[in-house]
Amino acid sequence: MIEVFKKKFDQRHRIAGQIKKEGKRIIGCFYGSVPKELIHSAGIVPVQLVEDRDYRYESKSGLPPYLCGMSKNLTGQINDKVFDYVDGVMVSTVCDTNRHVPDIWERNKVFPKTWIVRAPIKADDAAVSYYTREIRLLAEELGKLSGKKVTEEDLRKSIALYNENRSLFRKFYEARPGSGVSAEEAVYVFASALVLPVEEHNALMKEFLADLPPAPAKDRKIKLMLCALNINMSLEVIRLAGKYGARVVTDDFTHNARYGSEEIEIDGDVFRSLAQGYLRKIPLPGMYAFEQRARYIRDLMKKAGAEGLIYLLQLYCDAYAMEYSVLKEYFDQWNLPHLKIEAEDTPLSIEQLNVRVQSFMESLV
Amino acid sequence: MTEAERVKPDLKEIQRKMTARAMYLKLLAAKEEGKPICMASAGIPSEVMYAMDVYPVFPESLAAISSGIGKAGPFFDEARDRGYTNTICSYTRCGLGIAWTNQCAFGPIPDPDFFITDVSFCCLHVTWWAYLEDHFKKPTFFMDMPATDQPDVPAYLEYYENQILEMVKFIEANSSSRFNQTRFMDAVRYSDLAGYYWKKIMDLRRHKPSPCSFRTLAGQIIPLVTALGEKEAADFYEALYEKYQDDIEKGVSPCKEGEKYRLIWNGIPIWHHLQVINYFEEKGANFVWEPYTSLSWGNKTRTGRLDLSRPFHTLAEKYTNVLHNRPIETRSRYFDQAIKDYEVDGLVLFSNRSCRPMSIGQSELVDLIREKYDIPLLVIEGDQADPEGFSWDDIRNRIDGFIEVLQGREGKETMK
Repeated sequence: MIEVFKKKFDQRHRIAGQIKKEGKRIIGCFYGSVPKELIHSAGIVPVQLVEDRDYRYESKSGLPPYLCGMSKNLTGQINDKVFDYVDGVMVSTVCDTNRHVPDIWERNKVFPKTWIVRAPIKADDAAVSYYTREIRLLAEELGKLSGKKVTEEDLRKSIALYNENRSLFRKFYEARPGSGVSAEEAVYVFASALVLPVEEHNALMKEFLADLPPAPAKDRKIKLMLCALNINMSLEVIRLAGKYGARVVTDDFTHNARYGSEEIEIDGDVFRSLAQGYLRKIPLPGMYAFEQRARYIRDLMKKAGAEGLIYLLQLYCDAYAMEYSVLKEYFDQWNLPHLKIEAEDTPLSIEQLNVRVQSFMESLV
Repeated sequence: MTEAERVKPDLKEIQRKMTARAMYLKLLAAKEEGKPICMASAGIPSEVMYAMDVYPVFPESLAAISSGIGKAGPFFDEARDRGYTNTICSYTRCGLGIAWTNQCAFGPIPDPDFFITDVSFCCLHVTWWAYLEDHFKKPTFFMDMPATDQPDVPAYLEYYENQILEMVKFIEANSSSRFNQTRFMDAVRYSDLAGYYWKKIMDLRRHKPSPCSFRTLAGQIIPLVTALGEKEAADFYEALYEKYQDDIEKGVSPCKEGEKYRLIWNGIPIWHHLQVINYFEEKGANFVWEPYTSLSWGNKTRTGRLDLSRPFHTLAEKYTNVLHNRPIETRSRYFDQAIKDYEVDGLVLFSNRSCRPMSIGQSELVDLIREKYDIPLLVIEGDQADPEGFSWDDIRNRIDGFIEVLQGREGKETMK
């Protein structure tokens, strides 16, 4: 079963091409806090733009060297027309790079349409009202693109589908430490959620959760948690940890546990509910209480029995570098063993992490 | 009192009051007087603070000043010791160093009473101020300004205008300061005058030779960032304008051997190596226009003035008008106009690893400019406040090469 998630993720472009052949529209999401429910409610398939394993895309981006590998990898793919199936891109701001690199995409007209999601960083009444209005405007534009006007009922159904996905993820994270799902496999469970239609992913999750592989025989491996952004680098670090006698038993990636932890409560105006569901509910750096985020990581480690944490940063990602430095104050205060590693998504850069990961493992023994 | 009867401000006298050190002393005096101190980001309506007797401390300005006088090292060290990598903006690292140590380049700074930041000028402001709130456990206000590429939309302005009113409430809730409409109107008027005279100074640079040195302006711009709302700031820029007018009459130029080339600088000044600018000037190349001086500060409204009949709205229009939040084509139109108006011969781009909003899209901007103009271009890589990795020898060589290109082009048309 687990290989299905990997296969789906690996074949994401082919699947998207098939969706297009069926006459549906696709909108690329950059990055995690794009309100996908809204896109879905217009009859459009939201697909996250994700970095490719081929690090050579970075050199095709033409972007300054001090920008993160993710923005360069994505821009390289865009320049290579990998995302030609995308009818538009919706950008939700996490950092200056993710906000401004799409200016270049827009200038180069690589997508038929670019939307900047004008989301406030607050969640008070004024902010929710403002964002509700923005969401309604976006709904109108999406409706024009798809030819299907977004109704309250449509949006309610879409939110319900994504809530179901969140709920399935929560069940998965609860069951995972006691199951035989490996860390690498878990990566593909969430990575496939980024690129598949939600209905399909929900069906796969239900099937998967009904028959989780049993836990392996007890071993003496060190249990770890991994916090990361980049999918490919995460897989490499999981491999490195395994090499030095450790097992990643839980994680906190851009999606799944982090982005999907809270369901959207529908109460009255469904557009307003969607706005409320996104404002200050997702742990974006600076837009979510640091202490809450640190406690969340600590609790997740405790639940999974993780003895140490690896916080993986992609080089030049200033937003998460800053977040790490803040969280570190809490980790130090709690004597929570952790290792920050910062690297580029290239084989050489990852290889250089060997010694640091090995030393960290030794410190945990 | 008529305009003729009014005693015009004396530049030397007022300049003494507007130096960075003098402003630091004012900060200490404000604390002594019991005024609330606010650690604020650049790009928030400081007029409101001055109107409410709140004294702002701007860590970015202090970082720039520290770097400019070679005193930023200990602040960077402090950040490094706390796990902040140098891929994080140098203003942030230096500014946090200032906050942790309660020191600036001039001495100790008073403990702030609260924090206020903008949101969409720079995303790191959000994380930075969220950290200040978390670490120092002080009240913090975020001037919410959602990411946008269309800041002129009425609902957007209305949302921001409401944020200014919320800022007033925040200050009242967290200090004994009270909003006073008369003082607020004065603050907006002084701010308007400061911006008005600044714009006139920028216009004087169209003159050949331009009387201004970008290096000097980089210092003179500081009150426009930190002291808007104070009468002294308005007086300062009025007097400065008079001075530059006199300089034009006297034929003054920062280029000692005469102004041969007129350039645009795109980006923040390189605070730790401001001599880069002087080196250009020694070679007869003068910077006559920069988005940093002409578009980032001052009265950024459509009319170029603040509308005193709608003070909150006019501040909303001004502070939401952030150049790099606009599409690249829009940004390029400003360059297009400046190249014509200021008779520009070349373009120097500072590719600044700390300031992604200002640096992303520079290549595309250049492509647009080069569609219309045949002008040479120099890219300087580095960081605005952190000198690490910056080679002055290397940069000098590159400037020499650039000047040679300019020499080789003398007499050629710039317009394609």
